[in-house]
Amino acid sequence: MNNMTLSRSESSAPKYLFTFCTLLTAFITFFFIGFIFYIAYPTFESQGVINFITGSVWNYDEHVYGIRIYLLGTLILTVVTLALSVPVGLFTAIFLSEFASPRVASIVKPLIELLVGIPSVVYGIFGFLVLGPIFVNYVSPLTVSLLGFIPFFSSGVGVLGMSLALAATVLAIMILPTIISISEDSIRSVESTYREASFSLGATHWETISKVLLPAASRGILAAVVLGMMRAMGETMAVVMLFGSANNIPTTFFGTGTALTSKILSDVSFKIANEEARSAIFAVAAVLFAIEILFVGLARAIGGRND
Amino acid sequence: MTNTGKDTEDTLRPLKNGFSALLPKVNLRQLKGRIFTILSYLSAILIVVVLLFILGTITIKALPSLNLHFIFTSESNQPGLGGAIGNAVAGTILLSVFSTILATPVAVGTAIYLKRYANNGPAVKTFRFLIDVLSGTPSIVLGIFGFLVFVYYLKSITGGFSLISGSIALAILILPVIERASEEAINNVDTDIEAGSYALGATKWDTIKNITIPSALSGIVTGIVLGTGRAAEESAVVIFTAGYTQFNPEFKVAASDKLLFGIKIYPFQDLVASLPLTVYNAYNYPHLVSSSEAFAAAFVLIVIVLIINAFTRILVWKRRIG
Repeated sequence: MNNMTLSRSESSAPKYLFTFCTLLTAFITFFFIGFIFYIAYPTFESQGVINFITGSVWNYDEHVYGIRIYLLGTLILTVVTLALSVPVGLFTAIFLSEFASPRVASIVKPLIELLVGIPSVVYGIFGFLVLGPIFVNYVSPLTVSLLGFIPFFSSGVGVLGMSLALAATVLAIMILPTIISISEDSIRSVESTYREASFSLGATHWETISKVLLPAASRGILAAVVLGMMRAMGETMAVVMLFGSANNIPTTFFGTGTALTSKILSDVSFKIANEEARSAIFAVAAVLFAIEILFVGLARAIGGRND
Repeated sequence: MTNTGKDTEDTLRPLKNGFSALLPKVNLRQLKGRIFTILSYLSAILIVVVLLFILGTITIKALPSLNLHFIFTSESNQPGLGGAIGNAVAGTILLSVFSTILATPVAVGTAIYLKRYANNGPAVKTFRFLIDVLSGTPSIVLGIFGFLVFVYYLKSITGGFSLISGSIALAILILPVIERASEEAINNVDTDIEAGSYALGATKWDTIKNITIPSALSGIVTGIVLGTGRAAEESAVVIFTAGYTQFNPEFKVAASDKLLFGIKIYPFQDLVASLPLTVYNAYNYPHLVSSSEAFAAAFVLIVIVLIINAFTRILVWKRRIG
């Protein structure tokens, strides 16, 4: 359509209007991304990027800023979240695309989409007030008594239930819809000839799924996992409410920690007028943002939008 | 002859043996299949149970606090925080509506430009990547951006924590949501009809106005409504830009020496409450806001988001049959 030449005289006002909208979007995007890195820059300059990322001391009075604890907190939380949600999500996607009758799928899918409609702060308060006590009274004692011989499960949960386990469980529920819907779509879009060829060679249904369908859909599934991972890393409110705010790296399943997002949330209000402290907090945001940009690129490269 | 018969027997023997050797293996293969099938069913059941548990618990815990007085009265009529959520319901509606009004023209205009005016060169591809980045931005990053720019630097214009600061920040959040949905809707427009329009001598703008936009409208509206839902449920952006107040939004103009031109326009330059923050207050001030009130606020918030989402479903469904 774009290269169609027009003989009739045309008002160019609409074109200018749409161009203006696009330039405004571009301006907002560039200004936003640039602003974060611009405010963060003095910290990267004074601390050094490597020191900022690997340093384990964050002290406003001593002007030392290192985010190792928070960065590892975010990474560990994300890994545990994925470990909890990817298997369940993948099996559910297989169920919906392979085993469920259209009737069952038409009931289960809207229910899973309901999970998307629950705001993250509601997940947070639900985890804090409902799951917290359950973790304290049942999940933690049971896990420690069964798996206590493994160091990772050796110590129980604190009084309020705030822990890596609790935060990861709630985050896992939050990102399940993303993982399920994209994985299901990509399993469904595997060409039916693949499936028929596999059956005709005598493979069972499960062999067809695990050896033909899943490998064929692996790019889509990987993209789904990356998108879910981005959501988990960027989540703030639920993490603040459930991960605790301990200034250490979580070393056990029921330990507490601080994520990058919770560090930003807890500090920024008090430090906004202090130029140096403000820059340090924006540097945390810049690191988070840089990770996110990396993942957006990754998701696009492995099978995101094809336009 | 006998030789050939012996040959046949010889060739059949390993097959026979092989087959019987395979028998337990087949069972093992089927057993494996059965185990994973059961796992698939269990996963799906687990998710449905978890969902029903979450919604059920919230509803049951919300019921003691849930009544019309609670939903429609402002918190300022009650002592301290909590007790009612009318101010937050009104604030959430104002914030999501204003941010949608701000974001929609820009987002739809951008989508039309990218799909119908721009060539698909490297510049446009980079631009699409940036829009993807914007749409994946952690909301806390957008929150502190809004905090510093709108609340801190532009305090004399926006009034600091205010409806206008919150709406602009939320508009940036939902801009890529609406833009992408609009692009997709325009993508699905039948190009033959557009070609027909051009063939009849219509100009580009005539075609866009009379063919492209009407054909893509339900898809665009779906994107707009999705954006409204995103704005309504957002908390990390709102907490740093809109603030919180126990009072209902007011509609008036008052003198204020702190603001540009010496006047303060309510509700735009005034603090505004929102439901996500009411829920968060129950976590921050548990002695002021009871857990039942938090769940009641959460319940109302979920219902609002669900109504918005149901609206998009009806639109999608209508498009499918129409």
